[in-house]
Amino acid sequence: MQELLARLKTLDPNASLALRVIACFDELVRGGVNTQALLGAAASLSGCVAGYARASPQSAMRVAPSGEVLSEGDATPHPNALTSDGLCVWLERDCTAQANDTMILERLALALEIRHGRKPEDPLLRLGALLDAEVDPQQRRAAAAKLGLSARGRYRVLSLPLFATWNHHPEMLEDVVPTRFGPMHVGVVPAEITRVDARPCGVGAAMPADALHRSFSTALVSLRLCAIPDIPIVVADDYGGLVELLAQCSIERPLLDVEELEDVMQYPWAVATLDALLRSASVREASRLAEVHHSTMQTRLETIRDALPFDPMDGIGRTRIGLAFLAWRLRHSSVLDLPPPSERR
Amino acid sequence: MSDHAPGFLFGVDQEPSPGRPAFDPELRAGLAIVGGMFPPTITPDLIDFMRISYAGPPLDALITGRPIRCEERTFFGYEGHELEASIFRHTEALGARPGILFVHSGGLMFGDRFSGLDRMLDFVEQLGVVLVSIEYRLAPEHRDPYPREDVYAALEWVASDAEALGIHLDRLLIAGASAGGGLAAGAAIAARDRGGPRLCGQLLDYPMLDDRGVTKSTNQFDGIGVWDRVSNETGWSALLGERRGGPDVSPYAAPARATELHDLPPAFLDVGSAEIFRDEAVAYADALWNAGGHAELHVWPGGFHAFDIFAPHTALSRGMIATRNAWMSRVLAD
Repeated sequence: MQELLARLKTLDPNASLALRVIACFDELVRGGVNTQALLGAAASLSGCVAGYARASPQSAMRVAPSGEVLSEGDATPHPNALTSDGLCVWLERDCTAQANDTMILERLALALEIRHGRKPEDPLLRLGALLDAEVDPQQRRAAAAKLGLSARGRYRVLSLPLFATWNHHPEMLEDVVPTRFGPMHVGVVPAEITRVDARPCGVGAAMPADALHRSFSTALVSLRLCAIPDIPIVVADDYGGLVELLAQCSIERPLLDVEELEDVMQYPWAVATLDALLRSASVREASRLAEVHHSTMQTRLETIRDALPFDPMDGIGRTRIGLAFLAWRLRHSSVLDLPPPSERR
Repeated sequence: MSDHAPGFLFGVDQEPSPGRPAFDPELRAGLAIVGGMFPPTITPDLIDFMRISYAGPPLDALITGRPIRCEERTFFGYEGHELEASIFRHTEALGARPGILFVHSGGLMFGDRFSGLDRMLDFVEQLGVVLVSIEYRLAPEHRDPYPREDVYAALEWVASDAEALGIHLDRLLIAGASAGGGLAAGAAIAARDRGGPRLCGQLLDYPMLDDRGVTKSTNQFDGIGVWDRVSNETGWSALLGERRGGPDVSPYAAPARATELHDLPPAFLDVGSAEIFRDEAVAYADALWNAGGHAELHVWPGGFHAFDIFAPHTALSRGMIATRNAWMSRVLAD
């Protein structure tokens, strides 16, 4: 994996390698892997032997980058060892320490403590309690206070894939959390901040410190509404309750209107046209937004009308098409699959 | 868990998704590292990107520190087109040695003769084999039959030049991974049908055998892991164009199409349970047994495609590599 990390760095200089190291150990801890596997990951990531030693009860192990256990004979801590609470971890480098060594050792030590029953699993979920809807409000408030968030303040959760491109990475409370879309980079910022210079990025709705799980769920939907390069960032505020509604439903299940919309979406102009129509009060305004001639917009609208069982420009029809369009975008979201290669080099 | 934070319900596969084997935890951790580098879904517009991202490491990186020397050669591929090959020998090798013809991976569209070569070089080091790793022309620029006939031409070249290459002709094995595994299996069938070189074995690592995309596993891993259904369609379409999935596909290109599987060299197949090629590998082994053949099949639980190359340090990969090495040793060792 060391070689992969190096190639990753070459292919994508903006890759957040430290975040990936965190995500890697999070997965290992959650997967309940053993000591050899934890040391093997550290060795493989760093490209050199990784070892640990504990005084009481006395135990030690050294693992090669190949994942093989080496003889314990010379399990003496290396100069760059990290020691705390009687646990010592190290990487056996010949040369000077590399950029991610400290991060690897920190995560390794924490993972070993958890595996050996010395620490509960909680420390890994640094922002976890704050973002987990299952945690009771009392605990969330305690977590928020511990992280220095004001009980009266309002905040937003940002959600980004680990491969997001940052032009400017400001100081903020951040973490990598597991989601059903894979490990996700999340940040917490004051409500006044509605944009960061990163792409793709979902900006959650502003919420009090004890309701950041709601901001997180809207941030995830917002992120999935992004489309690189056209829509690098989506702010939940633009869609309000619609985003939270989408966050609460199973978007993969069949949905009336979305099925019909599929036919319309086959047209190459469909996304830009629907977006313009939904943002405008009139067809004329929509044609200006989409930068097409009024008659072109009119023709496209007729095509859309023909495909749908309702009039998308009339009364409740506007709401139906708006929701169906957002649902369609979520279903077909590819923003988490892959950053387009041209964006990465 | 509640519905209010859908993204926080479960980690990826922490809770097994309905109807799909979960990835092994160590491999999941590996995916967290390489996420975005090897997109699960490869569409035709990503071929150029993959050719850069999937290029094999430089030769020096492969053999430095190993008792291996490399000789660069050319051979005549299909229609007499000149192609490159690298021949790896143990520095101490004397006399005729067992030989491996290796066909690289890369979905029929990318990769080169140095891709995924580390484990093959182990056989040079441990068993003293002569390893011949070849280029073949890639789709979509070169559609079927170019890739498979280039591989077949390489097989004929290695067999006819065996003496000069220092290869013991009784112990010549064909090996391939992924797309290369499919091409290797196809070449073994072609060699039987055409009265070509006799092979002592075929090593088929997670082979790409079936262009039809109809198995359950093909449809189980959309958009996750490494090499999903869409990627597979991209690869087969690049090779076969409109013929993909139709009646007019040669078993030399898509060995799952073969109806006659008798008299083939002993086969070794390995595959992950969490990859699209699972069912076609199992079916191919089954078909070989039904035809009275010799096949060894290993399905590694929670393994995604080519996991042993992505994360060789994991317990699952070390198991796969040790098991494969044991078979290779039985077939090839002195």
